[in-house]
Amino acid sequence: MRGKFLAAMIVIALGVGARGFFSPADARVSLEKCTLCHGKPEFRKILVDGKIRDLLATGETLKGSVHEKKTCVDCHFDVSEIPHRQRPKRVVCTHCHYKGNAEGAPQSDAYLEYFGSVHGTAIARGNTKAPLCQDCHGSHAIRKAKDPASAVARRGVAETCGRCHIEIYAQYKTSIHGVALSKQITEAPSCTGCHGEHKIYGHKDPKSTVFATHVAEQCSTCHASVAIMSKFGIDSEQVTTYQNSFHGVASKFGSRTVANCSSCHGIHDIRPPEDPLSMVNPKNVPATCGKCHPGANPNFAVGKMHVDSHKKESGVIYYTALFFKYLTIGTMLALIAHIFLDMYGRSKRLRGER
Amino acid sequence: MSVDEKKNSKRETLEQEIEAAVAEGTAGLEPSEAEKIREKVRARVLEEVERERRIRTAAERRAEERRRREEKRQEKHPEEGEMFQRFNRNFRFQHIVMFTSVILLIITGMPIKFPDFVLSRFLVNLWGGFHNSTIVHRIGAGMLIYFMVHHLFYTVLSRQGRRDFVLLIPTPKDARDLVQNIRHFLGKAPEKPRFGRFSYIEKFDYWAVYWGCVIMIGSGLFLWGESIALKYFPKYILDVAHEMHSDEAMLATLAIVIWHFYNVHFNPDRFPGTLMWWHGQISEHEMKEEHPLEYEEMMAKRSRQEAAEVTNR
Repeated sequence: MRGKFLAAMIVIALGVGARGFFSPADARVSLEKCTLCHGKPEFRKILVDGKIRDLLATGETLKGSVHEKKTCVDCHFDVSEIPHRQRPKRVVCTHCHYKGNAEGAPQSDAYLEYFGSVHGTAIARGNTKAPLCQDCHGSHAIRKAKDPASAVARRGVAETCGRCHIEIYAQYKTSIHGVALSKQITEAPSCTGCHGEHKIYGHKDPKSTVFATHVAEQCSTCHASVAIMSKFGIDSEQVTTYQNSFHGVASKFGSRTVANCSSCHGIHDIRPPEDPLSMVNPKNVPATCGKCHPGANPNFAVGKMHVDSHKKESGVIYYTALFFKYLTIGTMLALIAHIFLDMYGRSKRLRGER
Repeated sequence: MSVDEKKNSKRETLEQEIEAAVAEGTAGLEPSEAEKIREKVRARVLEEVERERRIRTAAERRAEERRRREEKRQEKHPEEGEMFQRFNRNFRFQHIVMFTSVILLIITGMPIKFPDFVLSRFLVNLWGGFHNSTIVHRIGAGMLIYFMVHHLFYTVLSRQGRRDFVLLIPTPKDARDLVQNIRHFLGKAPEKPRFGRFSYIEKFDYWAVYWGCVIMIGSGLFLWGESIALKYFPKYILDVAHEMHSDEAMLATLAIVIWHFYNVHFNPDRFPGTLMWWHGQISEHEMKEEHPLEYEEMMAKRSRQEAAEVTNR
């Protein structure tokens, strides 16, 4: 009780203090002072590598973003004199964004996953090219992820990631998922659909959602859903048939060399089988299978890949399964009947002898 | 009197015999010359005898051991009577190779058919991961293929193998035996059917293994050499092989675990199992009980032989 009271007092005292220091009038002054330089359109800097950094930032810059009501020094709080002599440090978002913050930022710890991710660990190792929050979410024009105009919205995120991952972006853009997304099909996955949002790991990291043994599970989040797949006329049992196949079972038991979905269908360049560029187009199947099975020939493409022996379409495989089903049932019934008759006879004779 | 004592007494009489024979042969010679020849012959004969003795004592010791064991068993279980050799060493070896390979194949194969079963992960990790498990499966497969080849040669080349193979061919009597046995179970027929060397149950087991080996090895070879197989066959043939391999494995496992285990382990007459697979012997009592026709045949043969020996003497 006393603890809570103390805490409340401290919060109130801080609040009062903050209001005293950063009154709205001060903030406006601050913005006006900043725009003395940063408000000029020609205010830019030529970097050592010859690139031009645009330094324009006016009162309009934050408009529409989630930080609309914030001012420059709310984030660039290391600027204490104007004009500042040093280049301000990169903004640290976690200054406000943590669970339990009093700034009105969303109460979420979701971003914590970033620090363990491939990007977060790269930053920690000192890689200056690795992205911080603002590299993906935008620096001034930060919008909610659900806002279609956001840099991290489902439709736009591929472009955002593509700023660094250019080749992958090009592959993705022409893949079935990329094309579907550009056609406004909202079910289609963007980068984050498979790789996760903050918890992006390298594909060789066992924590990754796209680690060899996790791929099938990741694809199955959409491809095993009848609700989604039936919209596009795609078979929703492809994941099940894979999981029942030797490849799927080996993957389940932890084999990393065995084929997963993307070994055959491609990673970012997944295309429909009718597409001549698709890895699973019958013409390309020998090359695709040949990655693991040396000397693969067109015979690999004769017959269905995702076979379900319980379905009549599987033809001879279905009838083989049917034959063995009845053979097993018939034989076992006869043998078990024989065993029970034997036991019945024995108990009867035992009783008779007594 | 032990074996060694017997040998010693024989040796003494042998030396006397040599002495007598040499004395007779060298009667006309000079004493020194005769002594030389005597020494030579003695040395040579004793050497031969010694060698012969060394070879024979090991075999005889084993025979003695066996005899003693048999006597003890007779004292302990007089009701069992004489022991007959039912399965020879070669046949027992085949059975051991087969069941070892089948156990290996089942415990490394079934996890692939039932990956979600609680024991599956344990069985795979037992070998240190899936890759090792597949290697063990191939070792088991190699053993089963060896067994099959061995058995085919045994059937063709061995006298016992040929005889057993002929006796294992199903006959109309087996159908009659089955009907009578079921009537006996139900209490309709007072007598059990009288089986020969192989009852219809054993014949079924034998041919079931034949069928299983052909299907499993045939389809398994396709899956083992999938790259080679796909050079000559389309993919759906391999899918058929996969389906057959998976389904026949289930059938074989069920047949072994339910049917064979009942007949040789859980059956109240046999529980918890006999050592016949190890020593290959069957007691007179069991013989009369389970294979009366074979027993009678053996007895008839024995009496014929005895009669023949008497007339030859």
